[in-house]
Amino acid sequence: MRWWSEIRVRMRALLGRDTMEQELEDEVAFHLEREAEKLEAEGLEPREARRLARVRFGGVDRHKEAAREAWGVRTVMELGADIRFALRQLRSRPGFSAVAALTLALGIGGTVALGSAAHGVLVKPLPVPAEDELRVFWSAYNWRGVEFDHVKERTPVFQEVAAWSNEGYSMRRDPGSPSSLISATVGSAELFEVLGTEPLLGRTFQPGDDRPGAEPVVVLAHGLWTRAFGADRGVVGERILLDGTPTTVVGVMPEGFYFPDPAFEAFVPLELDPEDGGYQGNGWLVLTGRLRDGAGPDDVAAGVDAITRALGERFTYPEQWDKTRNAHLVPLREYLVGDSRAPLLLLVGASALLLLLASANVAALLLTRSGDRTREMAVRAALGAGRGRLARQLLTESVVLSLVGGGLGVLLAVGFFRLLVDGLPLAPALRDTLGLETGALLAGLGGAAVLGGLVSLAPVRDLLSGGPSGLGTRGGTAAGGPGSSRVQRALVFAEAAFAVVLVSGAALLVRSVDELRGIDPGLDPRGVLAVDVYLGPGETEAPEREAFFDEVLLEARALPGVESAGLINRVPVRDGGYQGPIGIQDRPELTDTNRPNVAFRTVSPGALEALDVAWVEGRSFDDGDRAGSLPVALVNETMARSLWPGKSALGRRIQATLAPGWFEVVGVVADVAVHDLVSPTPMAAYYPRAQTEASAAGGFLLVETEGDPTALAEPLRRLVGTTDARAAVGRVETMDQVLDAAMSDNLRLRFFLLLFAGVGLALGVVGIYGVVSYAVARRRAEFGLRMALGAEPSRLLAQVVRVGMLPVAGGVVAGVAGAALASRFLREVLFGVAPTDPAAYLTAALILLLTGLLAALVPAVRAARTDPVGALRAE
Amino acid sequence: MVVPKPDSDMIRGTLDMLILKVLSLEPMHGWGISERIQQVSDGALQVNQGSLYGSLHRLTRQGWIASEWGRTENNRRARYYRLTPAGERQLGVETTHWDRLSGAVERVLGLT
Repeated sequence: MRWWSEIRVRMRALLGRDTMEQELEDEVAFHLEREAEKLEAEGLEPREARRLARVRFGGVDRHKEAAREAWGVRTVMELGADIRFALRQLRSRPGFSAVAALTLALGIGGTVALGSAAHGVLVKPLPVPAEDELRVFWSAYNWRGVEFDHVKERTPVFQEVAAWSNEGYSMRRDPGSPSSLISATVGSAELFEVLGTEPLLGRTFQPGDDRPGAEPVVVLAHGLWTRAFGADRGVVGERILLDGTPTTVVGVMPEGFYFPDPAFEAFVPLELDPEDGGYQGNGWLVLTGRLRDGAGPDDVAAGVDAITRALGERFTYPEQWDKTRNAHLVPLREYLVGDSRAPLLLLVGASALLLLLASANVAALLLTRSGDRTREMAVRAALGAGRGRLARQLLTESVVLSLVGGGLGVLLAVGFFRLLVDGLPLAPALRDTLGLETGALLAGLGGAAVLGGLVSLAPVRDLLSGGPSGLGTRGGTAAGGPGSSRVQRALVFAEAAFAVVLVSGAALLVRSVDELRGIDPGLDPRGVLAVDVYLGPGETEAPEREAFFDEVLLEARALPGVESAGLINRVPVRDGGYQGPIGIQDRPELTDTNRPNVAFRTVSPGALEALDVAWVEGRSFDDGDRAGSLPVALVNETMARSLWPGKSALGRRIQATLAPGWFEVVGVVADVAVHDLVSPTPMAAYYPRAQTEASAAGGFLLVETEGDPTALAEPLRRLVGTTDARAAVGRVETMDQVLDAAMSDNLRLRFFLLLFAGVGLALGVVGIYGVVSYAVARRRAEFGLRMALGAEPSRLLAQVVRVGMLPVAGGVVAGVAGAALASRFLREVLFGVAPTDPAAYLTAALILLLTGLLAALVPAVRAARTDPVGALRAE
Repeated sequence: MVVPKPDSDMIRGTLDMLILKVLSLEPMHGWGISERIQQVSDGALQVNQGSLYGSLHRLTRQGWIASEWGRTENNRRARYYRLTPAGERQLGVETTHWDRLSGAVERVLGLT
C-alpha cells in the first residue's frame, strides 16, 4: 500500500497544507519543550534550557524544510516559486514578453478559431441521422420530374430517393400583415423519410402531399418559426399565405436542422405534375437518397452505372450535355460544403504555418535572452542551484510565456471569432451555424503548453551543454553555449522558409484577384442597384401583376437621381438562370438535341441601359415592343457569332426556352457574364418581358443612379409597399456587391493570406534582427580588437550581414521548394494563375531577401561603428 | 567543477533503521525516539534531533510508519508514530542488510 500512503501524504500536503504546517509546528514545539524540561531537570536555568534545546535541535526552519520535503510537495511549491519568478522575469522585459506573447497569441488564436470553423463545416455531423448513408445524385443540368420518376423506380442502391429544389416565396401570416420573402426547399413527399429527422412539432411531409391538387402544406424551420411566429406552438394547423395561397403549417423542425443549407427556412411539397413543363422540360431537381443497409462502395458505383444506363436507354441526351456522363453520386457533405473545403483547409494550414513561424521566433528570442542571462545563471549556479533546477526554471519561464500567449490567443479567438467567420469564404447561411468549440480552445491552451516546452529545448540544451565552470568564466562575455548560434541559424532558416511559403501564397492570391478583376463582365456596375420584387401569384390575377410591375417601373424612373430603370428576370453574374435548347428558323438542320442551348433572359426597356451593356448592332427594346406587336429578341455576341458567323444576326427568327412562338432578332449586344465571372459566357437571348413574362410574379428591378445606389434602397422599398401592400421586397444589392461576391472567395482568401504573410514577414524580420544583433553583441570585443588593428569597417559590415543572410537565403530556397510542393492545395482556389507561377515565387523570395537584409543591416552598421576603446574597456 | 555530494544515504538509512527498530517496540513521539536511541546506545549514537523529523515524515510517506495525535503521561498533546505492517517487513529487510554489512566489516577488521 505504499502508493496509497504516498498519495495520501501528498494530497494532504497539498490540500491541507495549513493543517500540516500547524501539526509540524506543534510537533517541533513539543520536542523543544520536552528537551528543555530534560535540561532543566539536569539543573539548567529555564531560559538557558530552552536556548540549548534549540541549539541541539539545530536550525528549526531548516529541519521543518526537510520535513516538508519529505511530504513530497517541494517540487510543487518550487513550481509556484518558479512561476512567480517567471512572471517577474517576463514583467521585467515588457518589450520582449509582449512581442513573444503576442506572436504566439496570433498564431494560436488564428489556428484555434480557424480550426474550430473548419471542424464545424467539414467534420461536425450534419443535422441528419446517419449522414454517411446519404448521397446526392446530381447532374450539372439537373433532373427533370420524368427522370426522377425513372430513377425512383430503378433504384438498386437506395432505400428511398427524394427530389428537391429551392424556391423563393412571399409569406404573410394573415392577409393584413406585411409580406416577407423567404427561401424554401421544395421536396418530394419522401424527402423527410430520406433525411430521417423527426419534427419538433406536428408532422413532416406525408405521401400524397406532392400530388397535384393536394392541400398546400408547409413545414417551418426552427429559425423562421422563432423569428416570424415568435416560437408559437399554436402555429401548427394555422393557415398562412405563401405566394398568396392559403397554406397549412403542418410541422416545425427542431433547432439546428437544415437542408440543404440554413438559408432555406421552410419546406414545401414539390408538386410533380406530369402535365407541367417542369416535369418534362428543363431539369431543375436534385436527387438525394439513403443507401440500402450494407451497401459498400462497389455497390454504390454499380448502382450509379445501373441508374445512368437506365436513363440512357430511356432518354436521348445531346452530345454537349449528356446527363448520363456527368451525373455524380456524392456524399451529402461533399455536395453541401465541398466548395468550402479547399479554402478552409488552406486557411487552417496557413495559420498553422504562422504558428510554427511564431514558435521558431519565440525560440530564437529565448535563446538570445538565455545568452544575455548567462551571468545570472552562473551566479545562481554558484549559489548552489543545480543545473536541473535551472533547466526547470527555463522550462517554466518558456511554458508560462507560451501559456500567456495561448491565453491571449484564446481571448483573441473568442473576441474575434464572429468577425473572422464573417470574413471566411463560406456561404453566409453556413456561417451562422458555426460556433467556437470548447475543445478547440482547450487544444489551443494545451498546444501552447507543449509549444512552451518545445521552444525551451534550445536554451535548456544550451544550459546543460556548458559545464558549471564554463557558466562561471563565460559569464562576462554574454555568450551562449557552443551550440546556440547554430540553433539560432537553424531557427532563422526555418522562419525564412515558413515566411516564404506564406508570402508566395499571398502573392498567388493577389495575382488571382487581379486576373478576376481583369475579367470584363460585360456590364458597368457603377451606380446600379438590383432589387428583388415579388407579388405572390396565389392571390393576384395576371393583369394585376402586370399593372403592378409597370407602375413600379414608372415610379422608380421618377425617383430623383435615377438615370434609367428596368426589370430583368435574373441578375447577371449572380443568378444564372434558365438555359435550354431553342429552334433557329434559318438553321433547320439543328433539330432536337442539336439545337443551341440558350440562356433565357427577359428584360423590360431600360434594364440593359441601366447596366450600360454595349451594343454591337441593331436597336434596343422600347415601349412599342408589347404583347401583340411583332415578337422581337436580342442575342449576345457569342450567339450571333456561333450561329451566323460572319453575317448579321438581324432579321433572323429564333424561339425562346420558356415562351412559345418565334421572335425576330432586332439587335446584338455584348456578352454579359451569366452564371459567374469565370465560366465561359453561354449563348444568351433577351426577350421583351411584355411579350414573354408580362404576368410573372417576380422580377429584379435594376436602377441606375448617378450617386450612391444604396441611397435608393429605402425609397424603392417604400415605393413597392405603397404600390401594392401584398408585394414583397427580397434581396437588395448593388451590382458592385454582386461582382465582389462573385470573387469573394478569392478576395477573402487574399485578405487572410496577406494578413498572415504580413505578420509572418514581421516575425521573420524580428527573428533575423534579433539573431544578428545577438551575434554582433557577442563579438563586440572581437570587433573592437579588429577595428583597433585597422580592419575596414565595410568588411566587418559585410561579414555581419553574411551571418544573418546565409540562413535567410537557405530558408528562402527551402521555402520556395516547400511552397511549390504545397501549391497544389491552391489549385482549386486560384483563377488565371498557375499554382507554380514563377513570378509569385520570385516576388516572395525578393521580398524576404530584402526585408531580411534590412533586418541584418541595422545591427551590422552598429558593428561597423564599434568604438574599439569602449568595446575593449567594457570587457 | 562538480563537488561530489557526500553520500548521505548510508547515514540516513541507518537512522531510518533505528527509528523503525525503536517503533517496533512501542509507539513513540519524536522526542522519545531520539531519547530512546541515545539511552540504548549509551549515548554513542547522537541523533541529530532536527533531521529526525525529516526521516519521520519520509518514512510516513513511504507507508512504513503511521502517526496519530495522542496524549503523553503528562496529558500533553504529541504526535505518536507507530510501525505499520509494511514497516515491519522493511525493518526485517534492513536488519538483514545491516547484519550482512556489519559482519563483512567485522571480518575485514578481524583480519590479522
